[in-house]
Amino acid sequence: MGSNRVKNEQAIQIDIKSGSKSFGDKQVLQNISLTIERGQFVAIIGKSGSGKSTLLRLVADLETLTAGELLFNNVPSKESDANMTMMYQDSRLLPWKKVIDNVGLGLDGQWQGKAEKVLDSVGLLSFKDEWPSTLSGGQKQRVALARALIHEPSLLMLDEPLSALDAFTRLEMQNLIEEIWEGLGFTALLVTHDVREAIRLADRIILIEDGHIAVDIRVQAPRPRHFSEHNLALLEEQVLDRIMFGEKPEKLKKV
Amino acid sequence: MKKTWFKRFQPWIIPIIILIVWQVVASLEIVTPSLFPSPISVLMSGWTLIASGELFTHVWASLSRAVIGMLIGGLIGFALGIMNGLSNTSYRLLDTTIQMIRNIPHLALLPLVIVWLGIDESAKIFLVVLGVLFPIYVNTFHGIRTVDPGLVEMGKMYKLKGWKLFKEILLPGALPSIFVGVRYALGVMWLTLIVAETIPTEQGIGYLATNAREFMQTDIIILSIIIYALLGKLADVIALFGENRALKWNASYNKQQ
Repeated sequence: MGSNRVKNEQAIQIDIKSGSKSFGDKQVLQNISLTIERGQFVAIIGKSGSGKSTLLRLVADLETLTAGELLFNNVPSKESDANMTMMYQDSRLLPWKKVIDNVGLGLDGQWQGKAEKVLDSVGLLSFKDEWPSTLSGGQKQRVALARALIHEPSLLMLDEPLSALDAFTRLEMQNLIEEIWEGLGFTALLVTHDVREAIRLADRIILIEDGHIAVDIRVQAPRPRHFSEHNLALLEEQVLDRIMFGEKPEKLKKV
Repeated sequence: MKKTWFKRFQPWIIPIIILIVWQVVASLEIVTPSLFPSPISVLMSGWTLIASGELFTHVWASLSRAVIGMLIGGLIGFALGIMNGLSNTSYRLLDTTIQMIRNIPHLALLPLVIVWLGIDESAKIFLVVLGVLFPIYVNTFHGIRTVDPGLVEMGKMYKLKGWKLFKEILLPGALPSIFVGVRYALGVMWLTLIVAETIPTEQGIGYLATNAREFMQTDIIILSIIIYALLGKLADVIALFGENRALKWNASYNKQQ
């Protein structure tokens, strides 16, 4: 809203209806209902063990709901051929493939030209014939991002992709991810424990606590967002207070 | 520049010193030359055998036994390792049996092999097959099972299935371990061959040594041993060359780890 974002017809809408997930006796997610709109950038935050990663893995079809429903564009997820890709905390590049072959993983036909274009968009075209092991942490994540983008995803999942990077590289990557998302307009689902990162990138922040959605707020500040703006800094403080001390969610204002 | 030259020379210092001491001791004739020939006389008899073409026949016979046995045993070990690495059903069905057979020293089967297969080529090749199968099986299996599960999950996320998943992720991930198995198996291969060639035969380096023993030709016995050593080193160099080519990525990967 208010941004120059591209409308992407391919972008996916996600609905979770009364979704629960347990591993054995341990209930990880309890009766969660959630609708993520087409093209929305949603950040899921929460402490370790809160169930936020499980939520992402459910959407990624790496786990299956114990009860409830998961819909993509109003079609049950198992029947949907949604085009999803994922970025992990560790880049998960194949060390035995050159950078460009990592980007083209799983593609058939003439993909090289496209791979070069995507690598160029993450600023690593000149590294296309390097082994991944020669790259820095930030560069590896750029390659992982390029590998996710070449599939023209309708949903991009980001599983703490920046938490292993140094502060400067992280800022750079946040800008890059925001820029690419604004250009392509896919639905984005980011799991992070960095509240500031969530506020900087997301349209909407969902706090998961003990398997429940504890807070669900929208962030409508114009992009690119700067923390010199008082209200963003305030929001960060409030969210952190909520996570750490359990302050009442009513105190959280929309920004 | 000078330093690298010296470094290259370093591995050969001890062998050369041994040769010199050997020559000196032999020429002092403390022991009779027929029991303790000098390196020069070993070299001379080697030259005679080369000139007559006899040496080539024997080396060729041994080499072809080694290669055929290695190929058959290697392929069986590799196939079993892949199968049991990928499928738990196959693992439960086969692994216990394989481990039981693996724990029999295969050379202990020599008498039985002679009784069953006779004394011709098949007996010798069978022993080599049995010897090289297990190191390759164990390392292939281990390699497949220890591929980073994160990479496999990533591959599935990117729609890699079946053969593609195997070719792009599982096999390359297992390759370093498989090469360890191959190099170990090469050692077992020569060891087995030396023993197997004591089965009566008319060709091969083992024959050369056994025959020389009958006639007290100590120089030829020593020559046979040296040829085994050289062939063993050659096989290792070839394996290392193949490994370096196939695992180009691994060098830089390991450096970083």
